[in-house]
Amino acid sequence: MKITITVNGEKREVETTPSTRLLDLLRDDLHLTGTKEGCGKGECGACTVIMNGELVASCLVLSPQADGAEITTIEGLGTEEELDPIQEAYIEAGAVQCGFCIPGMVLASKKLLEENPQPDEGEIRRGLSGNICRCTGYQKIIDAVKLAAKKLAGTGKLAGAGKSRGKGGGR
Amino acid sequence: MTGIVGSNFLKVDARDKVTGRAIYPDDIYFDDLLYVKVKRAPHPHAYLRKLDVSKAEELPGVVKVITATDYPDLNKFGLIIKDQPVLVGIGEKMRYLGDALAIVVAESREIATRALDLIRVEVEELEVISDPLRAMDDDAPAIHEDGNILITHYLDKGDVEKGFAGADIIVEREYRTQHIDQLPLQPEAGVGLYDEESGVIKLWVATQWLHDTQADIAQSLGLPREKVRIIQPAIGGAFGKREDISVHIHLALAAMATGRPVKLTYTREESMITQSKRHPMIIRAKTGATKDGYLTAWQVEVIGDAGAYASSSPAVVHKGMYHCTGPYNVENVRGVSHAVYTNNTYSGAMRGFGTTQMAFAYESQMDILAHELGLDPAQFRLQNAYQVGSLTPNGQVLSRSVNVRETIKKAIEMSDWKGVRVE
Repeated sequence: MKITITVNGEKREVETTPSTRLLDLLRDDLHLTGTKEGCGKGECGACTVIMNGELVASCLVLSPQADGAEITTIEGLGTEEELDPIQEAYIEAGAVQCGFCIPGMVLASKKLLEENPQPDEGEIRRGLSGNICRCTGYQKIIDAVKLAAKKLAGTGKLAGAGKSRGKGGGR
Repeated sequence: MTGIVGSNFLKVDARDKVTGRAIYPDDIYFDDLLYVKVKRAPHPHAYLRKLDVSKAEELPGVVKVITATDYPDLNKFGLIIKDQPVLVGIGEKMRYLGDALAIVVAESREIATRALDLIRVEVEELEVISDPLRAMDDDAPAIHEDGNILITHYLDKGDVEKGFAGADIIVEREYRTQHIDQLPLQPEAGVGLYDEESGVIKLWVATQWLHDTQADIAQSLGLPREKVRIIQPAIGGAFGKREDISVHIHLALAAMATGRPVKLTYTREESMITQSKRHPMIIRAKTGATKDGYLTAWQVEVIGDAGAYASSSPAVVHKGMYHCTGPYNVENVRGVSHAVYTNNTYSGAMRGFGTTQMAFAYESQMDILAHELGLDPAQFRLQNAYQVGSLTPNGQVLSRSVNVRETIKKAIEMSDWKGVRVE
């Protein structure tokens, strides 16, 4: 079967099967390997992507469910020359260790900051509660989100705030 | 040295990791890539009597099913003791649920997974030993030929009899800890490629011991080391779990058997069942102290559940024992430690390497002693803590950088510890 999805602003037609997970479609078919698989059960958040404005665990979404959807993966943030301020903040705060959780963390941070540009620590913790870091780098990840909030306030880049949101697949 | 120590530097690969461009083993693709899955033992302790892979081989999309029959000359592997089979052959024993019986190579992950269910296995079941104390019984079946006690170590410092005789109080307790998975976020994964012309196997796979892993793979396959090349991609966490061989040798066999690039990625369940854990330990501690709160003697017996294979057990369990007194001065110490085979998933390295389990025992002993003596537990620790010149249980003189007293003082301050009222 064929589905049409818009990934990182680019409309793609993809041949897939009803049992293919969105995660596999992104990785195996589109080779967007920034989206990771840590558990395959929607527990760890490594496969987080933004689908129709909502954070989803792409291991729990079947590809036909994504037909017509708009999807942002980690590859959709920033450009080759200029990182997204959230990505910059993660680097500057020393929040990156093994890095396997980081794409999911960054996307969860993006979603959080779009909805709540100045989150307090409790709100940051709740916003990232669907993402596990096993290097136990949480404190610096929280620092990174705080720094990102500052950077975004400074640049006025509160991208996507008030964007329409689709249904389904939310965590 | 100013400007280096104490300064912040940006992590060298952080940019690749925040953009998703960093390549981890499972992120590597080839156009003609094949997918590998491993048929695991259906029983934790049994003889393999029959293995019928014919139905799996017939499944369209299956390229190859490899069993021990295809490679009868493989050598066992392991970090310290080579006791782990690459594939369990007919008439041989499976010793835990992670043992491999067959390797399926197929055109897709889905086909490889379906083929696993088509493999018929017949076993002769043996008693499953999940408790190391049962494993140490005289009448327990031997999991390995040389018996179930993998290794025993002893520790002796001073004179514990004299130390206990000089004690006003003796506390004796047994502590037990459980299996813990290191759980690096990236499950075991790798890609293999065999170059027929040069005979070199290339493996893109994570390891914590690149050259040891290379040597172990080579000896297992009976190849010179230069025929095995490991390329270390980004590693999605390790924490000790990536010290052991996982996908490596199976990938090499699949690559050699098919001549095509092959990928093997564990599911999280497979990672948990198959790869190492923190040792569950049984720790029997006996500690003597004087009325005014000075330690006089410490005796410990440690039984570490090694699981089915040795891995790092010979090093981890006795290292735990060496730390039996924690950071406290004790003149008289005696210990014995056993690493014991069971049919559990094997235990290996994990952050702390045996000392973490011991901390639960010695700090509990310290709390119980302080309570029974009516002393403030912080003060009691402080007055027994190591300083420069202290002698550890295994005879090391601590000559510098001994900051435990400062650490305790700082912890008292930061936690606003007011002490316990002694009535």
